Amino acid sequence: MTLAKTRKLPFARLRRIAVIAGHAFTQLVRMKVFYFLGIFALIAIASNFFDLPQHDGPETLGDHGLDFLRLIKSWSLGAMTLFSVVMGIVSTALLLPKDVEDRTLYTILAKPVPRIDYLAGKLLGVLLLLFVSLALMDGLMTVMLQARLSVVLEVQTALGNARGWDQASRESLRIDTLAQGPTWALQGAVAAVFFRAAIMAAIALLVSTFSSSTLFTTVVSFLVYFIGHFQADARDFYLNSDRAGTSSAARYLATAISAVFPDFQLFNVIDAVIQGKTMELIQFVKLTLAALYYVVVYTVASWFVFSDKEF
Amino acid sequence: MKRHYKLPILATGLLAAGGLRASWEAPFTTELRAAGLLAKPVEMGTRDKIGQTSSVVALGGLRTLVATFLNLRAFSFFENKRWDDLAETFDLIVDLAPNTIYYWDSGGWNLAYNAASYYRFDSELPALRRREGWRESILRGRAFYERGAKMNPDDWKINAALGRMLSDSNKLTDFPAAAAAFKASADTNRAPSYVRRSQLFAMARAPGLEAESLDLARRLYLNPSNRVATLSCLLLALECRATPDRPPLKVARAIFESDAAAHDQLSDYWVRVRERYPLDGVATALQELEKHLAIPAEKSVFRRALQSAEGPDDWFRTR
Amino acid sequence: MQDGWNKPVPAVEIRNLVKDFKTSLKREPLRAVDDVSISIEAGEVYGLIGPNGSGKSTTMKALLGLVAPTSGTCSIFGKDSLKVDSREDVGFLPENPYFYKHLTGIETLAFYGKLCGLRGAMLKDRVGELLALVDLEGARDRRIGGYSKGMLQRIGLAQALVQEPRLVILDEPTAGVDPVGSRQIRDLILKLRDRGITVFLCSHLLEQVQEVCDHVGIIFKGKMVKSGRLQDLIAIEDQTEIVLKDASPELISEIEAMVRRSGSAEWLHSGKPRTTLERLFLRETSGEER
Repeated sequence: MTLAKTRKLPFARLRRIAVIAGHAFTQLVRMKVFYFLGIFALIAIASNFFDLPQHDGPETLGDHGLDFLRLIKSWSLGAMTLFSVVMGIVSTALLLPKDVEDRTLYTILAKPVPRIDYLAGKLLGVLLLLFVSLALMDGLMTVMLQARLSVVLEVQTALGNARGWDQASRESLRIDTLAQGPTWALQGAVAAVFFRAAIMAAIALLVSTFSSSTLFTTVVSFLVYFIGHFQADARDFYLNSDRAGTSSAARYLATAISAVFPDFQLFNVIDAVIQGKTMELIQFVKLTLAALYYVVVYTVASWFVFSDKEF
Repeated sequence: MKRHYKLPILATGLLAAGGLRASWEAPFTTELRAAGLLAKPVEMGTRDKIGQTSSVVALGGLRTLVATFLNLRAFSFFENKRWDDLAETFDLIVDLAPNTIYYWDSGGWNLAYNAASYYRFDSELPALRRREGWRESILRGRAFYERGAKMNPDDWKINAALGRMLSDSNKLTDFPAAAAAFKASADTNRAPSYVRRSQLFAMARAPGLEAESLDLARRLYLNPSNRVATLSCLLLALECRATPDRPPLKVARAIFESDAAAHDQLSDYWVRVRERYPLDGVATALQELEKHLAIPAEKSVFRRALQSAEGPDDWFRTR
Repeated sequence: MQDGWNKPVPAVEIRNLVKDFKTSLKREPLRAVDDVSISIEAGEVYGLIGPNGSGKSTTMKALLGLVAPTSGTCSIFGKDSLKVDSREDVGFLPENPYFYKHLTGIETLAFYGKLCGLRGAMLKDRVGELLALVDLEGARDRRIGGYSKGMLQRIGLAQALVQEPRLVILDEPTAGVDPVGSRQIRDLILKLRDRGITVFLCSHLLEQVQEVCDHVGIIFKGKMVKSGRLQDLIAIEDQTEIVLKDASPELISEIEAMVRRSGSAEWLHSGKPRTTLERLFLRETSGEER
């Protein structure tokens, strides 16, 4: 049969994964998650009417509004982080148990669908959801930033004229201000938020292959999230070679934990970008590869557990 | 394969993957730290002080967000004049967001200006206590600015603010340090032109730097946009000090556009006693100019009241 | 389908299947399936019957690779059940299936079709064909959430057939379905048999199995207690049935006398054959339904 022969081609495999991913995406969307984005938009627009305490130090030409730009970036990325991590974990945590409970899993696995395709498809569906939501939030944030930035630049120009600054100084201030607005580095920060959530989704996938309870998977995944953040500190503390008094058991354990759990401190570049620093392209590429490594490792581990799981 | 082999194999696999990960992760982390993209981890003390929820948010990857809210808290401390709480809050803020210049600027300003001003004018405490409070606030502010400048070597603003504070005659002046701060700021090549001029003004008032000051003044004078009143007058004073034989009027005519301009600018310069600018040859030049411009004796600048030369001893007298 | 020995490959070959489940750490494992062997030739309709908990579902799951045997082998058209390849030729309808409620009937079939590699015009045609086959064209754009039990079973059957498999496995296909729906499903199964598709079903509704299957196996507490051709198994060897139409009472007495005279045969019973309650129900409800 022609179907049988084409089944193993890589193209057919990708198409199959795409079908499962697309289906998981629509399933999640119909759970009305996008209403959250509506709330996000409302807060974004409402926040425009709030002002921050300003100080008028001498010579501060353009700091009016710069702090507000920083605030927009800060809380937008904060909301994005919160939303993407929660969505990433919870969506993944409920996808597999739901299929098992509804017995729809049987109908899928009874077709010639390899189990890895099924897992990959589900994960990609969640990643697609995260990507779309973050893109929308990013768009809104960029629009708001740009609007505020134009206002700030206008004020700066007016003040610069009034105080008689020369062109070089004004230009340097302009460059500093633009660095606080929407830049490519900021998009890189949003991408970092996406990567972090993607890694969490892969971890949730791994945990859900063990446990059949959505709640358990969710709780454990959040725990892993926090461990991932402070494990860098713990590692530095315990593995510092000139620290006497740490038993070798503690060292081994610390090493094991830092190997198994993800190290999320790499993603703290987000904070640096909010403060106005730039990330170079090569560094961004490396960050992408790091995220990819994590996702692949955890997905393969999930497949390992799932491949001969019995239903 | 047997179910009970699965878990150990999985654990081993993850450990192995983690080990492999360390080979590229460690150098990458170092690279990012060097590029200034990864801040130091938040201090334990800070985490205690910002409370659990905030720690969680900060840990969750958004220190800058927590810093923003702490800034609001700091503002309310400012309104309530709780200077110690304010200082502590700013320490937390800069620990969380060390590269946000605004927080260093704001914190230093609050300490060196607002808090000091409070102790000078508003506090009900006895004179000696007020003086001590005033002094301490300024010193704290100075330390804060210096820390910020060290953490952000590429920034011009913090050093400029530090220099400004150190050359403020209402505070504890330290002209050599101010000059160094302005120089560091101007040397980043990002500062506006007035910073270089400020460096000159501080240098000129620092003992032992006369030759460099004259040199810098001459260089700056070459650019017409630098010829603000203070610079022109200062240049005159420095030139007169360097070559006392030359008649000050000739020097003035070489520097200023016209006699009238010279007279106006030098008059204003003359009365600014408190700022302690060098005044070599200024009096002579003014006398000559008044003669040439036929200014009547009543309108002479020498009849004008000078700036008061009060200092901390006067401000903190027991009422 | 022939193998090297010129003997056709059986559609289903289960050999000495044993499946143990661990219940808790201390107790003995539960033996759900104990040395079961089933062989189904292509084109047959095989019914696996037994009480609840006798191991029917487990056997089916082992055949589909959803469960790994503790020992023994299962294969579909010669391909080992533990490999994905074996699933190319089989369609499965699980017991009490749920499908994704947010999809419509046609979207559901399209989803499964795409999973099997169908696309474009071929997919569209196939889906249309299947909807016609299971008589769900009227509900094609309705969400699965709004389907009745019978409709769910039928869309389930359609989904099982989407890649034109040579074997169809049905787990309790008529459980919980009303008599009209049951009849429809049974007719579908017979249609499949006519097309040459092998059907392996399990049920505990015995009358329905009797109507449809050629071969049966009775499984009890994990063991296969009886199996073989249906007609052979249920024939009451020593009894004969004769059904007459328009026979006069005189003819009947004459036949009775003939039997009495033979000496070896015994006249057990004569009278009007009874219709079944099911036939009565269908006759009464068909007026409104169609």
